[in-house]
Amino acid sequence: MKLEGRYARNRKTLSEEDQLKLSTSCIAIVGCGGLGGYIAEELARVGVGRLVLIDGDRLEISNLNRQIMSTERNIGQWKVEAARERLQSVNSEVQVEGIKGWFEEEKGPELFREVDLVCDALDSLPTRVALERVCHQMGLPLVFASIAGWFGQIGVSLPGDFSVKSLFGGGKRGVENTWGNPAFTPAVLASLSVVETVKLLIGRESSLRHAWLQVDLLTMEFERFEIQ
Amino acid sequence: MHVTVKLFASFREGRFKVEERDLPEESRVLEVLEPLGIIPEEIAICLVNGQNVNEQHLLKDGDTIALFPPVGGG
Repeated sequence: MKLEGRYARNRKTLSEEDQLKLSTSCIAIVGCGGLGGYIAEELARVGVGRLVLIDGDRLEISNLNRQIMSTERNIGQWKVEAARERLQSVNSEVQVEGIKGWFEEEKGPELFREVDLVCDALDSLPTRVALERVCHQMGLPLVFASIAGWFGQIGVSLPGDFSVKSLFGGGKRGVENTWGNPAFTPAVLASLSVVETVKLLIGRESSLRHAWLQVDLLTMEFERFEIQ
Repeated sequence: MHVTVKLFASFREGRFKVEERDLPEESRVLEVLEPLGIIPEEIAICLVNGQNVNEQHLLKDGDTIALFPPVGGG
């Protein structure tokens, strides 16, 4: 369906030229859970042309508290399938490809063959580090984000930066095992990821290169730290 | 010597956001962690005056230490 005026409210934040750049861009979203679902939703609404969603999980009841692609009716469905269906009903102009499987380093070149930028929405620290390695080998920008309880971190890693390695290089699991993930934290961090993604796609300068934003929703503090 | 300790995310739970500490000369980051009940393995990032360091880092008067736990969920 071609809907005139679909992007009218993107103006003048985004120009027609920006909109055209978005419509010819392809983004891979690695992980389609709390963060990835909201990232996909916003990228589809803002008008990115093609999305590649990667997740090897099916929806379960405990996802309902936060994952926008989950409903009481689609429990048990592949997350990428549920996302594709929802995104098609939101914006049928967006091409959505769902990969039912987990990201692995050796699959990177195939998964990201036609991709312009990668969004990290993983839930594993070592896999994030591997994802950054692949992105850098392929010359792709990476917007990384992570959440736990009231807290989150987000940043941008351009080829050669190795920001993710500096931040997450040491650990295996984060404090999310204890703190869980409530509804609001993935929505906030996903929105921040989408802002940085859109800026990179339309050629604006990223505000979070060589840095990360430390988000604390309990105290409502957003603090930027440099990665030296 | 006098240092400032800043805690982030879940490290603040039951502790504090920012506090001043008096330490013996030649103290290391490890000496800051012990009374807080934080072990090095729980730390994802330790910044001293904005520089990424480990728990063996030797502190100086006036340093600011910032400690972050790993946040890895998606």
